[in-house]
Amino acid sequence: MSGSERNNVVFAYESSVHSINVLLSLNDQRKQDLLCDVTVLVEDQRFRAHRCVLAACSDYFLTRIVNQHDADLVITLPEEVTVKGFTPLLQFAYTSKLLLNKDNVSEVSKCAEILAVHNIEASCFQFLKFKFSEIENQQQDCPRKKCCKSFCEKVSQKISCVDPGDLEIDEVEEFLVNEHLDIPCSKFHRCQSDEVSAHFQDGASQGCEAFCLEKHNTAGFSSLCPKYRKFQKAFKSGQICSLGATSSSQDVQSMSGQSLDNSVFQKSQESTDTKKKSRCEPDSVEMQKITGTEDLESETDALYPSALCSIEQADDLTLSSNSDVGRHGFNSVPFPSSYEPCGLHNSEPGLAERSSADTGNGHEIHKENLSPQQAPENLSPQQAPAPASGMEEENNLSLTNLSTVEREVAEHLAKGFWNEIYNTETTCQAPLSPAARVCAEQINSEKKSECPWLGMRIGESPERTFTTLSSVQCPFINTLATEGCSNSSDLSSGDYVKEKQQEKCLYSCVVTLGEESETDTEGDSESCSTKEQECEVKLPFNTQRIISLSRNDFQSLLKMYKLTPEQLDYVHDIRRRSKNRIAAQRCRKRKLDCIQNLESEIEKLQHEKNNLLKERNHILSTLGETKQNLMGLCQQVCREAALSQEQIQILAKHSSSECPLSFLIPEKDQPPQSECEAIVYSALPDGFCCLPAVTEQCVSACEGSMFGPTNCRIPEVTQFPTRVSEKALIAEHCAPSGMIDFCQQMTDKCTTDE
Amino acid sequence: MSFKGVYVLVNLAEVVERILTFLPIKSLLKAACVCRLWRECAHRIMKSRQEVAWISAVGPSASDGHALVCAIAHELQKVYILPETVLYIADADTFHGQGDVQRQKKARKKNGSEIASVLENLFPSQCQVLGVVTPGIVVTPMASRSSRPQEIEDGESGLALLFPKIDGVKIQHFHFFKDVKNKTFDESKLSEAGLKNNPELRVVLMFGYNTHKQGANRFLHQVIDPLNEKNIIIAGGQVDSLSSFTSENKTCNRDSIGVVGLAFSGSKVQGATVLLAQEVYDERTAEACMQRLKAANIPEHNAIGFMFACVGRGQQYYKSKKNVEADAFRKYFPTVPLFGFFGNGEIGCDRIVTGNFILRECNNVKDDLLHGYTTVMTLIHFGTK
Repeated sequence: MSGSERNNVVFAYESSVHSINVLLSLNDQRKQDLLCDVTVLVEDQRFRAHRCVLAACSDYFLTRIVNQHDADLVITLPEEVTVKGFTPLLQFAYTSKLLLNKDNVSEVSKCAEILAVHNIEASCFQFLKFKFSEIENQQQDCPRKKCCKSFCEKVSQKISCVDPGDLEIDEVEEFLVNEHLDIPCSKFHRCQSDEVSAHFQDGASQGCEAFCLEKHNTAGFSSLCPKYRKFQKAFKSGQICSLGATSSSQDVQSMSGQSLDNSVFQKSQESTDTKKKSRCEPDSVEMQKITGTEDLESETDALYPSALCSIEQADDLTLSSNSDVGRHGFNSVPFPSSYEPCGLHNSEPGLAERSSADTGNGHEIHKENLSPQQAPENLSPQQAPAPASGMEEENNLSLTNLSTVEREVAEHLAKGFWNEIYNTETTCQAPLSPAARVCAEQINSEKKSECPWLGMRIGESPERTFTTLSSVQCPFINTLATEGCSNSSDLSSGDYVKEKQQEKCLYSCVVTLGEESETDTEGDSESCSTKEQECEVKLPFNTQRIISLSRNDFQSLLKMYKLTPEQLDYVHDIRRRSKNRIAAQRCRKRKLDCIQNLESEIEKLQHEKNNLLKERNHILSTLGETKQNLMGLCQQVCREAALSQEQIQILAKHSSSECPLSFLIPEKDQPPQSECEAIVYSALPDGFCCLPAVTEQCVSACEGSMFGPTNCRIPEVTQFPTRVSEKALIAEHCAPSGMIDFCQQMTDKCTTDE
Repeated sequence: MSFKGVYVLVNLAEVVERILTFLPIKSLLKAACVCRLWRECAHRIMKSRQEVAWISAVGPSASDGHALVCAIAHELQKVYILPETVLYIADADTFHGQGDVQRQKKARKKNGSEIASVLENLFPSQCQVLGVVTPGIVVTPMASRSSRPQEIEDGESGLALLFPKIDGVKIQHFHFFKDVKNKTFDESKLSEAGLKNNPELRVVLMFGYNTHKQGANRFLHQVIDPLNEKNIIIAGGQVDSLSSFTSENKTCNRDSIGVVGLAFSGSKVQGATVLLAQEVYDERTAEACMQRLKAANIPEHNAIGFMFACVGRGQQYYKSKKNVEADAFRKYFPTVPLFGFFGNGEIGCDRIVTGNFILRECNNVKDDLLHGYTTVMTLIHFGTK
């Protein structure tokens, strides 16, 4: 290789951080408004930036900025670009990081498109849009979408047509039974509203009522509980009056509204209005709304009959599954007698509450609450909070489920009612809530014993009832109710699907399966017991065995018994479920483990910290001691060796700052010395006679306290001026050199002694 | 005539190469021993084969031994690639030798480690084998990339993923386990495994085992947290046990808590992952999640999908509908094979990592990777040729 070639070799140095750092410093400049030469105006908000950066990042800015030579360029962005969308993009231009969240993602993507920002790929917006829309869907539709989805579309239209009518029928049927139609004015009103709602209900309720009732009856009850057939018959006989009753629910509602204050009346009217309006629209989308408003409305209805019914219904109505409500109609209405003894056995308040709710007139209850002078004597004041709690439940439900208009209505309603009730009957709430709970639980247990699958489903409700009742004090707690609500909707829509798919035979098993998967965390033990109970009925062996056996034994067990395919499926399901449960337990355990670990770690660390603190204190105290010792030693050494000033200075120079010598030095050679000199000078003119005494004093004082030369001198300074002040000036002027020498000697003596 | 044939086969590289392309790898390796020309041709062909292959076993095997063993022994003859790294997943019930009642007489007493060693011996010796045992398997049958993936929650099944040497993609394996003596996790191990100081790192699949034991969570966090700070995709789950890890000797303690996994690095590797949380409970929501994964816009050729689900999900979770998640995946990714398992916990989040950008959640809360009752779906693309 020749020399020239060697010289031509080129080395490339490449920095991997340069580009990042340039951007970082540009960003810093932007923040400090350094060298910024453009102002971007977005929705009247000003953003300072660098032309070159903007132009490099966006085609839009490039075209706007190029050929602009003003010193202070202002770019106004089109209206579509919002601050919310532009700020992250500007940040991106300077940091290459785009912060996106649910609120801004759509705007940012829009603005990025308009501004043609480089290096932003649309796929990330897509991804996030899907993610956020998913979350939204889950939050909004979650409680309802299933029941709407579980039917196929055509059926859903038909059935939700049926729903409102049917709902009301059950509702009002119950109402009628309770009230024995003893409100004369309600009849009058009924005629009116009959006309109003005729166009809708004619077709729906008449035709479908029978259909629906038949359906529940066959699907739900007849196969399981012969007991229900009786009531079913009884119910059918009441069908005629129930037809008219649909409207009566409305007018009772509005009538009670009249007896309330005006605003409440309006709201209730509104609610019926919205309902009617939405009913008229045949859209399948509207169907959801109908069921929604229906919920609201029937919930308000439910307030009147009894608190418990309302609570239970409020739970179930959200599902808008007619069968559920139908069931409730059956359960709660036709057997007031069967509940009463139950309440009687167990708790007095429960009984009082229950029986009065059943036999008493719900309408009157309200009247009593609002206008006490009208109140009939036979009603106990305890009832008042009961509707209140029902109301609250309703309010919660509607808050979460209904569209905004509906929500508003519900809120107003609730507020109106609530205020009234709350004012009059606050005191009764505390005693009531446990009572009501007890009662609810009894009903649940009763139902469970009668009919396992019903019990299962309702097995959920005590908890929910509990939460709402206990939160009575604060009417707008959403979270609890939301939880319960979404849960319940999941559940019973699950139930409903099953009900529709599998007609009669396996009904009970499948329902329990569908149910258990989702309640797993809550109703574990309960659902488990009922489930097992059921298995024992159906299977020739214990469920416990299915679960506990190993795989081999399980297979052989299945071989041993001749099982139908359904049973086999069922057994497999049980086994799988139990496995899942174990897995879930393990999962929970793991979490608990984690918590425990962390706690113990915290404890350990705290302990360690305490120990360290103690140690620190100990070390500090020993350090102090050692310092003292060292100081003492130093002083001793100094004194014994009789070091001169220079020697001490040298010593201090070479020793560390920690060493007490260094403390000694500065104190000794600056202020004390000058003071000392001053004293001596001033004392001079007085004559030599007094001088020895002064110096003597001074020296002795210095010797007496090694440490605080300043301390001992100050008193002396104060002593002298009285004697000396008038002659001080003269002394300074005429001090002879011999005197100065003497003084020097004296000071030297002073310091060396120290 | 025969002489002419010999002449062609010994001298004309184009012809030989064309012929040899039709051979599966085992035959190709044998053919490479014939002569220099053939060897060169064979090596060229081997290098050009860079697609991921897989062997799946569904349902009990006809002969003894685990279905996966039989399937691999049989299918390995037909595989076209030379595997460099193998990940196999087998189902726990059968792998641990409980066996079926019907076949008790056919000495199926082999326990897991024996099966594992048999499996390991089937693969070439220089090939790294990583095997885990899980409660359930998700596998795409071998027929084609677009056959319908199956979620097998119960029953004998298994799958083996065979990664060849892919240009521009480095596949490393790692194994960390909790040392009883040394409580603090040594982060230098991470860099040894290529998980640290590796700017090309893109995707990490990791499987925790024995995680039901005390302190597992802490250990997992020790491993995951430093990884999570980086802009990489982390996906995986918690498996029942580790059955094979060939680069280490067998004596290492398999009873302690540990993590094994594969790290994919290379600038052209792209990936996206989504988490199907508990709110995903029906076909519609599952499909919405797949749509999201699709929106990440990862190229679908030369890509594979992974699905790590919780044992609590699957058929029972979706109201007795089978295969919901796998079908949703197939609907949106018609040509991407899907593999995975049902495990005891999942590792993953929503994230996209491509050469050009990274999209990740930036929460203050670090712990967003360990989950339960969820499914993690991951798509990994190994680059265009």
